[in-house]
Amino acid sequence: MRISIDPDLCQGHGRCWENAPELVEDDEAGRGVVRGDGVVPPELEEKARQAASACPERAVILSD
Amino acid sequence: MSYAGATTDDELRRKLAYERSAFPREYYARLRARGPIDDTEDPEEPVLVRRADVEHALRSWQEYSSDFAGIMGSEEPIIPLNVDPPLHARYRKLLDPYFAPRKMVALQPAVQQHTNDLIDAFIDRGSCDFSTEMAVPLPCSTFLSLFGLPLDELDALVRWKDIMIRPEHLVPDREAALELQATTAREIYARFQAEIEHRRAHPRDDLITYLVQAEVEGQKLTDSELRRICFLMLSAGLDTVTISLECIFAFLVHHDDARRMLVEEPGSEVNLIEELLRWETPVQTVSRRAACPIKVDGHVIPEGQRVRLALASANVDPEGLPEADQVDVRRGDLRSFAFGGGPHRCLGSNLARMELRTVVRTWHDRIPEYGLAPGAELVWNSSTLRGVDHLPLVWTPGSTR
Repeated sequence: MRISIDPDLCQGHGRCWENAPELVEDDEAGRGVVRGDGVVPPELEEKARQAASACPERAVILSD
Repeated sequence: MSYAGATTDDELRRKLAYERSAFPREYYARLRARGPIDDTEDPEEPVLVRRADVEHALRSWQEYSSDFAGIMGSEEPIIPLNVDPPLHARYRKLLDPYFAPRKMVALQPAVQQHTNDLIDAFIDRGSCDFSTEMAVPLPCSTFLSLFGLPLDELDALVRWKDIMIRPEHLVPDREAALELQATTAREIYARFQAEIEHRRAHPRDDLITYLVQAEVEGQKLTDSELRRICFLMLSAGLDTVTISLECIFAFLVHHDDARRMLVEEPGSEVNLIEELLRWETPVQTVSRRAACPIKVDGHVIPEGQRVRLALASANVDPEGLPEADQVDVRRGDLRSFAFGGGPHRCLGSNLARMELRTVVRTWHDRIPEYGLAPGAELVWNSSTLRGVDHLPLVWTPGSTR
């Protein structure tokens, strides 16, 4: 699984990095930035799904 | 007969407003069953009630514009609330970092201190009015900290806020209430102007100084822009947190399992607050203006029409949110529009979350066992900023920390 954030959709709700701090961090304006290369280790897949499901803008994208 | 008719309409509106505020989930379920848009409570500003429509409208600023004036007595559009992109993005680029979570971490100790000071004042009494002794003063003291103003201005600030948000509660006559609101808005603008000039001459570490010194694309903000940003902070940052605290504690006094979870599992407040913001949706609606004729499922909103987006309905609409009608801190789909969405996502959402988490955590650490005062009834305020003006709580003195 990979996680990415569409910067055009992100409005800085902060729900992604609060739900999955291992995968996403906040930038200076409070917007989510994917850590590293965005590859989600199996044990963090549930957290990645939480981060995506919590985003009111549907800006967090999960792919295989 | 028009006079009698008007009276009946007024009575109907009052009844509907109370139901919306006191029984929001039942109220909006009824509206959603009737259609996508409802004008029974306010024909001049109909309301979109379906989750999919609200979500679309929040994002589609080209159709649903925020460019209008008149919010809380302000004669001019306030910033950034009443500005559309692309100009809106310039202001947000300046303001977002100041209200980003990292900044809130730095502000949290002051909010923690204010919370403890407020609790200290009543903890040995074994009772308090949570609304007037915590929910109202806490965000006001935070505002004063942000703006670098002395805490002894708190009473004056509360008065300003009350006039701005619900002038009709202070002056029953509608015309007179609006006049008082407009006069007060001018008074507030004058006060901000004085503070702006003072910070320009004597810079210090506060929000006004930050704004005075800031540049947007190489240009300093004008005094008019600065005043309208300050007015936004005052109109949006106080009552919203007050009513959110009231909604959360009104829920907790009726849900002992949730209260116990907060006491026994520090940290559980984070998800519970998110879920209660969805479930209670204290800020029930946000306003927009149709920038063009908009079709909504067969209905047409004419160009120029003011329209409200019912966040409170979208958040509990089972069409699009599984088990929307249950409070579940472990729900799979967490998406909530309690802080709106799209470009106008609440600027202060991180500040609000920090304040709510600080109060809920500190309260349950210090006063774990409490309840509604015997015989007390909660009276909801009929406002789209739904809260209870009084929330009498009791506990056993000595059972506290």
